[in-house]
Amino acid sequence: MILLAGMVLAMAASVMAAPPDQWIHVRVVSADAKGESVRVNIPMSFAEKILPTICAEKFHEGKVRFDDHFNDVDLRTIFEAIKSTPDNEFVTVKSRDEDVHVAKSGGNLLIKVHERHNYKHGQKVEDGQNVDVKVPLVVVQALLSGKKDELDIMAGIRALSALGNVDLVNVNDGEQTVRVWTDTSSSSE
Amino acid sequence: MNPVAIKLSSVALLGAASLAGTAGVITYNAGAVRVSVVEKRQNGEHVHVFVPAIVIPMAMGFIPAKHFHVHDKDTHQWLPILKAVSQELERCPDATLVEVTSPDEHVKISKQGNSLYIDVDDPGETVHVSFPVGVVQTVVNKLEAANTSPPV
Repeated sequence: MILLAGMVLAMAASVMAAPPDQWIHVRVVSADAKGESVRVNIPMSFAEKILPTICAEKFHEGKVRFDDHFNDVDLRTIFEAIKSTPDNEFVTVKSRDEDVHVAKSGGNLLIKVHERHNYKHGQKVEDGQNVDVKVPLVVVQALLSGKKDELDIMAGIRALSALGNVDLVNVNDGEQTVRVWTDTSSSSE
Repeated sequence: MNPVAIKLSSVALLGAASLAGTAGVITYNAGAVRVSVVEKRQNGEHVHVFVPAIVIPMAMGFIPAKHFHVHDKDTHQWLPILKAVSQELERCPDATLVEVTSPDEHVKISKQGNSLYIDVDDPGETVHVSFPVGVVQTVVNKLEAANTSPPV
């Protein structure tokens, strides 16, 4: 009987166990021979607790104010329009220098920029830049949940925490790669 | 030797050994502040500081409160952040929080157990600093108590 009770308790404990901490990782790795790298691993709960204590010029209580920069653009209306439309590619720009795609897919806003290699007299002088940004729409909604002239960074982080593993930013410009992602691992290896 | 004297000295030795053992266990559990700077040049300086963390709150008690007054407004703003960081670091699981690697230097900030470790290795010197996160809280609490109103 005691054994059975113990087993039930153990099972209940495993079911009710707190979800593993979500971490945000930033990794910048230089592609050159020097192999410079920067790795930052921060628990999301850590960011949630620290942000409200930061009091800077335009950053208070986890919210950033953008004053009149977006006065002419109603971000919320644009967001609601994007949210209510089916998955689609909204913007496609193809030029000699770069391709830009902005799309909505699977609850995410996807921004892809592909720069072509820079050639001079037939010689490659510069690698093109590839940028992939994936912003979950629930995070955008949380960011815009505050007043008209502010972004609620705290709400954004909370929304991101609840999403699980997300690959947010990938940049490869030939000289370095930048990756920002979230998962439950404390290491960025 | 008198058997009573032998017994007494045995008891005294045992007592001293237990006391030293207990002090050792308490000191070990509280952790220590370690600072180590090793210059890589020939005949370079080697500085090693080891302070048991348990001594720090006691030592701070002897420092007059006026020395903890923060007169600079910007520094004052950092106190709540420092407090939140120290509180959250205690809860934070063990991990490498920041690591910067370049041909010239390697910087690593990690948390292991109750301590924060900062290691810097550059061509000139190797620096190692580690301290229990609780020490930061002790210092911040003292600073907060001494700075209840913001500087004018």
